[in-house]
Amino acid sequence: MTRHQLQILSLVLVGVVSFGLPLVLRSPTYLHILILLYLYAYLTSSWNLVGGFAGVLPLGHAAFVGIGAYTSTILSLQYGLSPWIGMIVGGILAVLVGILIGLPTFKMRGAYFALATIAFGEGIRVMVENIDYIGPLKLNGPRGLEIPPLKTGLTHFMFAGKEPYYYIILVMLILVITITYLISQSKLGYYLNAGGEEPEAAMALGVNVVRCKLIALAMSSFLTALAGTFWAQFTLFIHPKSVISLDMSFEIAFIALIGGRGSIAGPVLGALLLRPVSDFSRIYFGDKLPGLHLIIFGVVLILVMLYQPRGLQEPLTRAYNRLLDRLTGARAEQALGRSRA
Amino acid sequence: MKILEVNNLSKDFGGLRAVDNLSLAMEQGEILGLIGPNGAGKSTAFNCIAGVYPPTEGTIRFCEERINNRKPWDLCKQGLARTFQIVKPFSSKTVLYNVMVGSFANTDRKSTARDKALDVLDFLHLADKRDLPAGSMTIADRKRLEIGRALATEPKLILLDEVMAGLRPTEVDEMVDIIRKVRDSGISVFLIEHIMRAIMALSDRLAVIHFGKKIAEGAPKDVAADENVIKAYLGDEYVVS
Ligand SMILES: Nc1ncnc2c1ncn2[C@@H]1O[C@H](COP(=O)(O)OP(=O)(O)O)[C@@H](O)[C@H]1O
Ligand SMILES: [Mg+2]
Repeated sequence: MTRHQLQILSLVLVGVVSFGLPLVLRSPTYLHILILLYLYAYLTSSWNLVGGFAGVLPLGHAAFVGIGAYTSTILSLQYGLSPWIGMIVGGILAVLVGILIGLPTFKMRGAYFALATIAFGEGIRVMVENIDYIGPLKLNGPRGLEIPPLKTGLTHFMFAGKEPYYYIILVMLILVITITYLISQSKLGYYLNAGGEEPEAAMALGVNVVRCKLIALAMSSFLTALAGTFWAQFTLFIHPKSVISLDMSFEIAFIALIGGRGSIAGPVLGALLLRPVSDFSRIYFGDKLPGLHLIIFGVVLILVMLYQPRGLQEPLTRAYNRLLDRLTGARAEQALGRSRA
Repeated sequence: MKILEVNNLSKDFGGLRAVDNLSLAMEQGEILGLIGPNGAGKSTAFNCIAGVYPPTEGTIRFCEERINNRKPWDLCKQGLARTFQIVKPFSSKTVLYNVMVGSFANTDRKSTARDKALDVLDFLHLADKRDLPAGSMTIADRKRLEIGRALATEPKLILLDEVMAGLRPTEVDEMVDIIRKVRDSGISVFLIEHIMRAIMALSDRLAVIHFGKKIAEGAPKDVAADENVIKAYLGDEYVVS
């Protein structure tokens, strides 16, 4: 088998396992944990388009989750629109807000950019908490919105069991990973990386750095908002503290930094590692030490930054490549031996 | 045709006039050298031409078009490339990746950009280093990479800011050959350099600035013999044979 075939084989294996899991894993609790894991892998991959490739550190992405969640929920509760349509509308709205935020902030560097995005994210949360109505649209302030589980089925984006949600978020995750891969191989990917690493050099080589970052942010906010609709339909209850929380914005950044910013596998690996920490520390220590998971994230982040500054994807990718070498090398030697004999 | 025309260019930083009423013109296919003591305003003049700083006064024409407030990325696409005195490689990326960023200036296709980048790396004898991370290279190779990225944008005019600083004598000779080859391929070269041996050998014409003002211009031999230049700049630091 060639190296390429082995790579495809391992991808297919991962695919088969992730699609087959619900058939084996019948516990709703574990399915729930997996759905959240994929959701965070999806959110972090979307974040990575701008936070990883473009070399800035946005810390307000929960605002886009909130825009997606509120838009589709309001449209379906008040106007009977399918959440799938609301999902797209929410995505478009998030793009507009993203560009409005990006225009002034992309001229800032480092910590200034990060702080500005925190301010925007928190600003949007506080606004939603204090607004009951925007014209005819009911936001319901801090009480949030409940989605009554009246009609189930694909068109209503509502299901009795967890399996359909599992498959929807899995497909969304595969889509965002594919998009990330395609961008990384395109001119835009090269330009984003260049502009993130050395903006002046990039500009001298023909890169309009701010424009590229805005394109990346537009895509990122669109994709992030889609996850908001998913979240709303999955939990059937949204309020500002759940879908526009700073906690969520931070967790996304933690996952990205620990898994490996700017890589394709990083967000998924980060979510695989950190989501269980989040879930189990909430299950076992939720009432005694409610912030424990964030402290564990902090410690893990320090360790990773000390020993693997480019995230855990780097040693893992190296190990994977070595395994492929071993497998293909062994086979090549075997073939050689046979031809000699 | 005049490839570059700078008329009465001035650039102020707060109270400091870094470039003072500078006028220069370059013919297509020419190598123009620019020398002057540290802090004379050479890099600032380059930055104005390349669109990094808007000029305080004066006009800049490139290919007979006024380019005063144009952005660096637009100028690059029109054929004006430059290198930085302090090299700025995309350190975590490979040499090939670095050069491909430049070659994307004229194409949206990755395969075309890759072919162009490989040609440039061949031209600079860097082909065997194409998969190394740019951050791991020697200073001589980094200077070469800096030129490679600029060449990959397919410029008409290239501004080279001290691409020989920090090089050993043999490396300087190689760089002189490279710059000649660049010019022979039809690209006009405007270069700032401190290494007199190199700039005397390369330049068709030489301009000298001091405190932002041009104090001499002409054939390298005449400029080196100019009394003002010797007084203001060469002093007894450099002996021109
Ligand atoms: N961005 C800047 N802001 C303020 N002063 C600057 C800036 N760039 C250069 N200068 C000043 O302008 C003068 C000319 O600098 P420079 O053009 O780098 O000189 P050279 O390249 O000839 O050594 C120096 O006094 C320098 O300190
Ligand atoms: Mg200089």
